[in-house]
Amino acid sequence: MKHLSPDEIVDVAEGCAGASAAAHAAACDGCRSKAEAAAGAIRAARVAEGPEPSPLFWTHLAARIGEAVRREPARVSFWRAWGWRLAPAAAAAVLVLAVGLALRMAPAPEFRPPEPAAVPVAPSAAPRDDSVGGENGDDPSWLLMSLLSAEVSMDDAAASGVWPGPGGTEQALVHLDDAERSELAKILRAELESSRPQL
Amino acid sequence: MAICAETWPAGGRQRNWTLTVVPSTEDESGPAAPLARLDDRRLVELCLAGRVEAFDAVVERHQRSVYQLCFRFARRHEDAADLTQEVFLRAYRGLRRFRGDANLSTWLYRIGVNVCLNHVSAKRAPETALDDAPALSAAGDDPASAFAKARESARVRRAVARLPPKQRATLILRVYQDLPHREIAAALGTTVGAVKANFFHALGNLKRLLADEAGGET
Repeated sequence: MKHLSPDEIVDVAEGCAGASAAAHAAACDGCRSKAEAAAGAIRAARVAEGPEPSPLFWTHLAARIGEAVRREPARVSFWRAWGWRLAPAAAAAVLVLAVGLALRMAPAPEFRPPEPAAVPVAPSAAPRDDSVGGENGDDPSWLLMSLLSAEVSMDDAAASGVWPGPGGTEQALVHLDDAERSELAKILRAELESSRPQL
Repeated sequence: MAICAETWPAGGRQRNWTLTVVPSTEDESGPAAPLARLDDRRLVELCLAGRVEAFDAVVERHQRSVYQLCFRFARRHEDAADLTQEVFLRAYRGLRRFRGDANLSTWLYRIGVNVCLNHVSAKRAPETALDDAPALSAAGDDPASAFAKARESARVRRAVARLPPKQRATLILRVYQDLPHREIAAALGTTVGAVKANFFHALGNLKRLLADEAGGET
């Protein structure tokens, strides 16, 4: 014969056992005495009355807990609590990042030689038109470039991405031969002359 | 509700008022609803929405049972009050973790058992707490029987205090808090079978401890 398990004995002691467990307890002295002992212990435990403080105590306790709860940090989400404080820092970080990226992607500043002191230059015999023709007027590629670039401003060229890469200008200068350097010097002098304020 | 209409008798000087009571169509759980009438789940929602006064209603509703639980463990009125406050503070801090698939009371009991077991393990309760001393109840019995009852009550409290923690928690929740085994299992994070087995052993140990106490007193 299989005796009742502890949880079945508890069910019998509490009067909520199933039919088979109740029938077994009725027939088995051992299981019945265990169930009766458990029921007696429950009755004995119930003798110990709980405290019943005065009604004022509950008011006091509720107020005390309420105060403690209100001393707790506000129950708001992290972003609601800190978001507005972090927003300026986040905006500054984004700005710094954007400026850093822009600087990194922008071309290196073009080397600009210091403006030379005014050097007396013998005026050329005749004004030259370098835009088309001139000494290079026979060069068809130069002619084509001159025609194409005649109406393009530097700003438009920069905006459309036609712009020397970093260090490109210096590279170009380094690779000029003597004749080209001489020609460049002439062009620069002519530009300086034309941009000099008329006295 | 709203008062809707009045009637004027034709030619009469006296006004006759007809009052028609129209039930309000507003949501009873809206912001203006008395918090004490809301169920626990709605109160928790309001707490999470930032209305701390909703938690006051939770405290008022459950403080008695939580205090009783804490007193069964701590056996001192002052300690029980402190532990009750701690239970509610922890509940408030962890309110987002209350999923609502169990009763709020069961969840509070679970916190309460943890807080109390930590308390009794950290601070070993004296063999005889002050509140274990026989105290006469104010009404009812004659002094002699009241004293005998109080003495027996103190003896049982001492015996319960000597039970192993899990058995003690199970017995307290079952016998004094009248929780069903299923809710005790939820509160203790175990199974119904384990709860019943613990309860069975708790009752056996309590019987032995009471016998020891009786032997010690004679």
